[in-house]
Amino acid sequence: MKKLLQRTKLFKIGDILFIILFTCLIMFSISNYWDAPVGQYLKIEKNNDEPKILSLNQNSNEKISGLLGDSEINISEGKARFSKSPCTKKYCIHQGWVNKVNQTVVCLPNQISISITDGNEPFDSVNY
Amino acid sequence: MLLRNLILFLFIFLNGCGQKESVHQYKEYIFGTIVDIKIYEEDKQKSDQISDLIFDDFQRLHKYLHPWKKGLISDMNLSLSKGKNFIVDDPEIIRILQENIELAQKSNNYFNPAMGKLIGLWGFHSENLNQNIPSSSSIKDFVSNMPLMSDLVITDKIIKSQNKNFQLDLGGYAKGYALDRAKVILESNNIKNALVNIGGNIIALGKRGDRKWRVGIQHPRKPSAIASVDLSPGWSIGTSGDYQRYFILKEKRYSHLIDPHTGYPSQNSQSTTIMIPPSANSGVISDAYSKPLFIAPEERKIELAKSLSIDFYMIVMNNNKILISKEMSNYINWIDLDNEEIITTH
Repeated sequence: MKKLLQRTKLFKIGDILFIILFTCLIMFSISNYWDAPVGQYLKIEKNNDEPKILSLNQNSNEKISGLLGDSEINISEGKARFSKSPCTKKYCIHQGWVNKVNQTVVCLPNQISISITDGNEPFDSVNY
Repeated sequence: MLLRNLILFLFIFLNGCGQKESVHQYKEYIFGTIVDIKIYEEDKQKSDQISDLIFDDFQRLHKYLHPWKKGLISDMNLSLSKGKNFIVDDPEIIRILQENIELAQKSNNYFNPAMGKLIGLWGFHSENLNQNIPSSSSIKDFVSNMPLMSDLVITDKIIKSQNKNFQLDLGGYAKGYALDRAKVILESNNIKNALVNIGGNIIALGKRGDRKWRVGIQHPRKPSAIASVDLSPGWSIGTSGDYQRYFILKEKRYSHLIDPHTGYPSQNSQSTTIMIPPSANSGVISDAYSKPLFIAPEERKIELAKSLSIDFYMIVMNNNKILISKEMSNYINWIDLDNEEIITTH
């Protein structure tokens, strides 16, 4: 009982609220993105340029030149990632692979973003 | 109190996640491509279970029928290339070989799974394509002694080849075979409405609610669909194109679809799509017979389609023409046409 009291002193009501809200946020993210369908296409966006759309069903490396230099995007086995980037922090590379619809990785310093789309086709599947 | 409300809110919120969706979708990377299964209006647990069964079977087939990795086919190819008999106690592979002999014969060997060695010579037996054109003399030598499925002699469990160049490559058959097996798995588990797509080879079971399954047909030169079709229950659709496995050298495209009569990648088409009505092997037919129609010269395509009893076809040619059968043209919804000349054939 004494210990419990000590703990409640350790956590103030604000902390508890914060923890709960944070947990909610995580739950919300999981429930929204965990079951997201796997995408068909990779959309590469750079500033105001026309987005480049590539099939995820290929193994290739795309070089895109951005604000700082060339970023390399690696497509393999239905997923994509930043594999090289001229930015200093390399957050985009650390994000790793994406393959689910609406997943997005943005490299702010080099102003390039990649996101997964389902090709927004009104189809159930694509014959290629 | 506030805390309790929050917990309650969280509980209600999370409960909402378990809503029943009408289509359950599953994807895996098998056969070097994306496999996509959609199951309509079934219990999620059952759908999960059956899709796993199908993926397991596909994984098995991928290893079992792999054209160049160590396995049954590579063992057989090695024995036959040395002129030795290959003895196999496996009724499934014997059935597969016999079906391939028949498919090749009917297609006038435009479908030729016996020329794996030539595919390898062109560098297509590798995940990473090397951009080399084999020497013209090596191609000429090979074509002059072209191995055919009819070179195989099968007696009971003994397989022999009369041509040492014989090297089986089921790359144009395995996905179709897998589709037909998926159909059996789904049907025997009482799943009535599903769509299975293995790297573009598709089979439809039943419908998607009150409408048919809708399938987009990839544009051979754009990242979008050129057209779409509504696939009736039990039908299969298959496309062969020069845009998935190819390399470009000196501005010329070399795809994996090699003409057995010349030894060179066929250059006249960009893609060929065929639709096959329900049958026990409609998946196999849709996979195997899109190749002959792609490879054959323009003037032979229509006649070949007739002799193969393919009524539904669409061929995007390299000369800005699209050849489409009358039957197919009744089915197709064009989406992205530029100024191609569409020729309806009878």
